[in-house]
Amino acid sequence: MAGTRDGVEHHVIAAVHHLVMALEATKILSDDNDMRTLLANLDTHLSTMIRLNEAEAENIREIETRLMSAQHAIMSLHSNNSRIWDSTSVIDLEYLQAVAEVQRLAETLQNMPLQRSSRSKELFDRAHSILQMAMARLQEELIHILVQNKQCFAHEYVSLPSCEQNPVYEEDSVVSNEDESFENASQRESSSIETEEYVMDLIHPDVIPHVKSIADVMFASGYNQEFCQAFSGFWRDTFAEFLIILDVEQFSIEDVLQMEWKYLNSRIRMWRHAIKSIISIYVASAKRLFDQVLGEHGHMSSACLIEASKAPVLCLLNFGHAVSIGPHKPEWLYCLLDMYEVLATLVPDMDALFPEEIGSVVRVEFYELLRRLGDSATVIFKELGNHIASCSSTTPFPNGGIHPLTKYVINYIMCFAEYGDILNLLLQAQDTVDSDVGQNAVATHLQSLTSILEANLDNKSNLYKDSALKHIFMMNNIHYMVQKIGDSKIVLYFGDDWIRNHVGKFRKHAMCYERVTWSSILALLCGDGRTGKATLKARCRDFAAAFEDVHKNQTRWRVPDPRLREDLRISASKTVIPAYRNFVSKITSSIGEKHIKYTVQDLETYILDLLEGSSKSLNHSRKR
Amino acid sequence: MPATDNQGSFLNRISIRRNQFAPIETCNDQEQENLELFQRHVADRFADLLYIHSTTTTAAVTNSNSNDHSSAAAAATTTDSPSATHETHGPPPPPQLLSISWFRNLLDTYLCCEAEFKAVLVSGRDPSQFSRPPLDRLIPDFLERSIKALDICNAVTHGVDLVQHWQKLAQIALMALRQTPLGEGQVRRAGKALNTLLTSMVFDDKENANNNFHGRWTERTRSFGRRVGGGGGNNKDRTAGNFRSLSWSVAKSWSASKQIQNMSANLAAPRGGESTGLALPVYIMNTIVVFVMWALVAAIPCQERNGLATHFQVPRNLNWAQPIIGLQEKIGEDWKKKEKKGTAGLLEELQRMEKVAHSLVEFADTFVFPMEEEKEAELAALVAELAEICKKMEEGLGPLQQQVREVFHRIVRSRAEIIDVLDQITKMSAPVPY
Repeated sequence: MAGTRDGVEHHVIAAVHHLVMALEATKILSDDNDMRTLLANLDTHLSTMIRLNEAEAENIREIETRLMSAQHAIMSLHSNNSRIWDSTSVIDLEYLQAVAEVQRLAETLQNMPLQRSSRSKELFDRAHSILQMAMARLQEELIHILVQNKQCFAHEYVSLPSCEQNPVYEEDSVVSNEDESFENASQRESSSIETEEYVMDLIHPDVIPHVKSIADVMFASGYNQEFCQAFSGFWRDTFAEFLIILDVEQFSIEDVLQMEWKYLNSRIRMWRHAIKSIISIYVASAKRLFDQVLGEHGHMSSACLIEASKAPVLCLLNFGHAVSIGPHKPEWLYCLLDMYEVLATLVPDMDALFPEEIGSVVRVEFYELLRRLGDSATVIFKELGNHIASCSSTTPFPNGGIHPLTKYVINYIMCFAEYGDILNLLLQAQDTVDSDVGQNAVATHLQSLTSILEANLDNKSNLYKDSALKHIFMMNNIHYMVQKIGDSKIVLYFGDDWIRNHVGKFRKHAMCYERVTWSSILALLCGDGRTGKATLKARCRDFAAAFEDVHKNQTRWRVPDPRLREDLRISASKTVIPAYRNFVSKITSSIGEKHIKYTVQDLETYILDLLEGSSKSLNHSRKR
Repeated sequence: MPATDNQGSFLNRISIRRNQFAPIETCNDQEQENLELFQRHVADRFADLLYIHSTTTTAAVTNSNSNDHSSAAAAATTTDSPSATHETHGPPPPPQLLSISWFRNLLDTYLCCEAEFKAVLVSGRDPSQFSRPPLDRLIPDFLERSIKALDICNAVTHGVDLVQHWQKLAQIALMALRQTPLGEGQVRRAGKALNTLLTSMVFDDKENANNNFHGRWTERTRSFGRRVGGGGGNNKDRTAGNFRSLSWSVAKSWSASKQIQNMSANLAAPRGGESTGLALPVYIMNTIVVFVMWALVAAIPCQERNGLATHFQVPRNLNWAQPIIGLQEKIGEDWKKKEKKGTAGLLEELQRMEKVAHSLVEFADTFVFPMEEEKEAELAALVAELAEICKKMEEGLGPLQQQVREVFHRIVRSRAEIIDVLDQITKMSAPVPY
């Protein structure tokens, strides 16, 4: 530029030489008006130019004075204060004004013709040097203000949620059955982190205007990139600290996949807390701060915010991805649903904090994770049936009690009371094709799960040699299902019909049990005075042996539910005792008491021993 | 390592052959043809990546080739990668080896090969083959390797962030140096940004090599200012913009170099009867995965990558592997040079940026006003080069990062699909009374 200006000057000088020579040659001016006008114009032009130069020189002198005084102010403030913003507000105002003055002067000088080695160029350079120095200082001051005024977070926001062990399962339901070890599926903490909109002050509110004033003066001087580097750099570091405070550890995907289930489960709980805190509290709070500071500078605020928060958010999403690609075991389902739920509540925050264009990498990862968690959860949910069906056994479950599989499946199902809505959403999103599933896909699915369970139990019951025990087993397990489901919110997904139907089922098994147990024995209690004594004696003997047999077996069998057990005993007594009393009264006269081994009272007492789950022997008990 | 690989005795070979009998039997002609096609496509696609940068005359030839391949790829597989369409526009300038555009082509190539591989492996196949040799052994191995690749994708994603961060620093310098007229203030401003850039390049890379992350940062920021020294008198350098977030990409003790080593450790070419069966495409895909990840780690800042050059070898006698071997040799040589110098990565733009930044810092240190015309021209050239690099980064890094994510998600999805097939087999063996 300077070169071309010199060139122009050169041309002008050459042209003037020509003009002077031509004028000397002419001597007399003709009447040619054109020429006169031209020369007159030249004259006025020259005079204004000279006046202009004088004004410019005056102007430059004034600029120089102002620049010197601003420079002086800046330099003395630099050397007199270790931290400008730690001093009084008069001082930092003075400083900002001085810098703004330099910036204005630099701008004025920029608009002047700046010849090489001219005075104005010299001043221009000096102005920019002062600015550069001031900007570097402002960057330091900025970081200093941020470090000094960063708020320490109240414990409640950063500490873990009270993750007291609050298992949804009853104590003995964490089982390992013979085929597969199921573990506690999920623990949904009672103090689940509910959506509470909380935006906090990341730095002391009093200093926000200071930060903003630094931003404004740096932007005005064209140092916006330096400001953003320093500002987002500081918050990037701070976000990394937040992660440490939130106890987020970095794992590779390989690590996560190899994690022991219990540990992973606790990491997942921490993760849910962390991602919620980071996005809806920390990033949201940072957004408010960034908008306060940079709101006037277009998209700078969100660009800086993304630069500051991208790494920690991606780090958290990465852990989620690692979990979502893990093996699809049933016990993962609730974890995945919990994670899905947390992300789903964060969707509005995500949309607001990471806008389409600049936040796209984070957004894509977020939505991809949401989708994958949903998919994985749905797959597990749909696979549950297969899983239940495939739990086969080769040995009968001892004593006909409640099978661990029943407990596992039913307790598992009970948890759906909490997740019904979210699962329905997921299933509806998936089953757009087969709409016959209807509104409540979860209900249909849950009922099919219990049917599969029943079918499986039925298979297991066939392993018993004693058909009475088979009925006890079925009765116990179906009774357990009915009772658990009936007492829980999940009953809404099953309905009265299901309950009625299943009450009928276990009652029928109870009746069958009774019939199978007693009908052959009761058949012995027939005959009267006309029957032969030998026959009667044999029947007495047989009855006693059969009863002892039943007693021996069935004291070992187990009906865990006390009422059900009571009902069965009462019913047994009602069937057996009157018949026995009748029989005894008829035959005592004929064969004498000697052959009647047990009194009616004995029998009543012994029946009370049945189905207690602890083996007893009548021979032993007689000696008492 | 699978038991069959390290045993050379004749008897063992016979038993391998017997194991291979079943799959070979089921390999019909169509399948054999698909297999050969797959090999040819792999060779062609990587040949494009190898020769495209060398000279302009071969570039014209390979260019027309690449059009053929991309259309063939599009026919064979449905790919959503953008560059398949790009290649059909006129003759683009051939990308320099290891440049951002080259990596974008490499990742496109990966995605194409992956899609075709999956088609060869899964579609139309009787799932029960997955439970028989050799797939019963190779597929779990393949899946495990893909998990390792996922961690590399994550590390590289953050590496690209770091490069973007450097690009922003370079852009500050660029903006300052483009001011007219140029004065001392602006030169100092540029020098400060470039010093930060160069320190960060050495520092973050070294830091990564040292496995030192958490808790080190305060110490680091404190010592940082002293190290910068000539950065325009600024010595409280939280502002310097060092980039700690890299430590959040992967676990503390994670090492990209070890990861590559693990990925390639049990990678053995199929021998004997296996070499014509289904073991081959699995091996090819494994090799591609390892190669792509290796190249990414070499080029883009990643946590701990000492000894990368020696970690991965492909047998030289395989036809389809020739271009990959060629690329691997070239990159390996570059890496050995790099290891001596200790720079930030082999990414072409990064290496140039580092060089230009050094020259500009030198310029800034010796800057005297007014400038001689010669100096002025020299500066203009450097600024123009920096501008060109920044422009390439500006245009390329975002899409490159998106592609890395695409590769990540593709691996996750493919893994899920293959596991689905495996699940079907278990279901078949245990029918469900639904």
